[in-house]
Amino acid sequence: MFINYEHENNVYNVTIERRENKYFVTYDNTEYRVEAEEIKPGQLKIKIGDRIIKSIITEGDKEKYVFVDGAVFKVKPVELTGKKRTKKKEEGDLSSPISGKVVSVKIKKGDTVKKGDILMVIEAMKMEYLIRAPYDGKIDKVNFKEKDQIEIGQNTVEVTKT
Amino acid sequence: MIKKVLVANRGEIAVRIIKACQEMNIKTVAIYSDVDKNAPHVQLADETCSLGDPTPIESYLNIPKIIKFAQETGADAIHPGYGFLAENPDFAKTCNDVGIKFIGPSPKVISLMGDKIAAKKTMEKAGVPVIPGYHGDKQDNKSLVKEGKKIGFPLLVKAAAGGGGKGMRIVHSKETLEESIESAKRESKSSFGNDTVFLEKYIDKPRHIEFQILADEHGNIIHLFERECSIQRRHQKIVEETPSPVMTKELRKKMGIAAVKTAEAVGYTNAGTVEFMVDGDLNFYFMEMNTRLQVEHPITEMTTGIDLAKWQLKIASGQKLTLKQKDLIQRGHAIECRIYAEDPSNGFLPSVGKLSKVETPTGPNIRDDTGIYTGMEITPYYDPMLSKLVVSSENREESINKMIWALSRYVVLGVATNVSFLKKVLGHGEFKKGNITTHFIDDYFKDWATSEKSLSVDAIISLAVYDSMHTKKQEIVRYKEADPHSPWKHVGRWRVGGKGV
Repeated sequence: MFINYEHENNVYNVTIERRENKYFVTYDNTEYRVEAEEIKPGQLKIKIGDRIIKSIITEGDKEKYVFVDGAVFKVKPVELTGKKRTKKKEEGDLSSPISGKVVSVKIKKGDTVKKGDILMVIEAMKMEYLIRAPYDGKIDKVNFKEKDQIEIGQNTVEVTKT
Repeated sequence: MIKKVLVANRGEIAVRIIKACQEMNIKTVAIYSDVDKNAPHVQLADETCSLGDPTPIESYLNIPKIIKFAQETGADAIHPGYGFLAENPDFAKTCNDVGIKFIGPSPKVISLMGDKIAAKKTMEKAGVPVIPGYHGDKQDNKSLVKEGKKIGFPLLVKAAAGGGGKGMRIVHSKETLEESIESAKRESKSSFGNDTVFLEKYIDKPRHIEFQILADEHGNIIHLFERECSIQRRHQKIVEETPSPVMTKELRKKMGIAAVKTAEAVGYTNAGTVEFMVDGDLNFYFMEMNTRLQVEHPITEMTTGIDLAKWQLKIASGQKLTLKQKDLIQRGHAIECRIYAEDPSNGFLPSVGKLSKVETPTGPNIRDDTGIYTGMEITPYYDPMLSKLVVSSENREESINKMIWALSRYVVLGVATNVSFLKKVLGHGEFKKGNITTHFIDDYFKDWATSEKSLSVDAIISLAVYDSMHTKKQEIVRYKEADPHSPWKHVGRWRVGGKGV
């Protein structure tokens, strides 16, 4: 069985073969022979050579969480298409960093703004987040008004560079 | 004695208060908004009342609704916890007006201490040292900018009604002064309904050290020593400890006297905390008094053996303080870490989502004050603090080691948390030496990105084994046949976005 995991924009590929409770895991040209048992749902006890590790795994809608050796990893299984999916934030990306409420809109369509100007103020968990102009430009579109609910990743304002 | 308490709060503090009531055979009433209907505080209480709409202003800040519930359930007292209505004098007054005991000081004292300007003026008069600044009535931008320039930079803009870092801005130059004043005013207005601000000198190498106070309604006041709360991010505490590593016997005595004097000067009753700023030369200045039970109260309980929540209930019932200052001792050392649903590698932005797993460590002298459970949804409506992990030991070094042990076994999955960040803070060389200031996080962790940059081999093996266990035979075949000559089989790790294969 062949699996890819995506973590922090890196993709890891692993093969695993199972024979009863023995597993042969190959990663980065190394084979690990391990014995494993699921002691409680999502809770694994794995013997790697003479080491024993305990890990906890949970599954969300899109991701898995692994807790092992005191660290938490959030991973996404990736499809085997080999297509590189870039998720880099582009210049001028004004998506909301947080789900919350728009408390103030400083600009309207057609306004010209200077780099660093405050365009919108979003409040979540009683903290304020400022959306600032990424460059000098002109406001094309304002997607939210005061008191609107906004979700993480939603585009707040569209600005054309001048 | 009080017979029934309505707890006007949620999360770990509501749980903490309900448990204290239960030990004292006091009945409890929990209130909850729609998103909290399965919350632990609701499960624990004897009676529950639904607030409906989860928006804070419609739920835990809704004074008429809460008072109505207290009357309907026949509660004779209300415990406000911290945050929400804890320091709202109108709420305390409304309670008094309808004959329900507000567990805290009088509305007059809350009002005075809530107005940071009036509080400082009162303390100056009482002979408690304060930080130089502008606490005047002229609140127009022009006057504030003028006063700010007089004080010099860096300076702090603080909301007069503020707390917990809300409505606070550090200003490094006159260019950003006006913008910061406006922003602080706006945040203050939305959080506290009041946009009065004041300006003060920014102290270099400041430590935040506070003293716990207990005052009964018969004029007896004691302090329960200090808490060192310098480790903060965004002006909110994340690690607290007691005793403070810089505290000396003499300084403790002086500050303790000042703290008691502060409480005396205003006729304080119930539990409260006097916050001081301590500079590099160990001069101390009164900052503010928090007229409530603090988030970090457990470390005082761990080192003094005194239950502050229970004393709040006893004092509110009119009992006299039987504790005498001379009999109080600090024993060993305690640390608290606040576990937040937030991403330390992304500006500590709060993280929302469903907790897919919660499993916390237990052991000698480990206390976990929590309001979360597996399956709970973390929503954007309230503060993102999930729980407080508290440990105590014979000395600081052992407490640090115990805390790192416990954090390493603290499992909260499903949202981003600050657990691994806290571990790095506790393990930092300067923290271990006790060289901490309120700038510690900015100084040493400014561009901190998650320590788990790459997936560990143990994590990869765990995932693969898990997926192998949980994949049906047919799927395995499909996987295999998808592309038996796939190049991915033969390479190690590669990076999305083109950098460094």
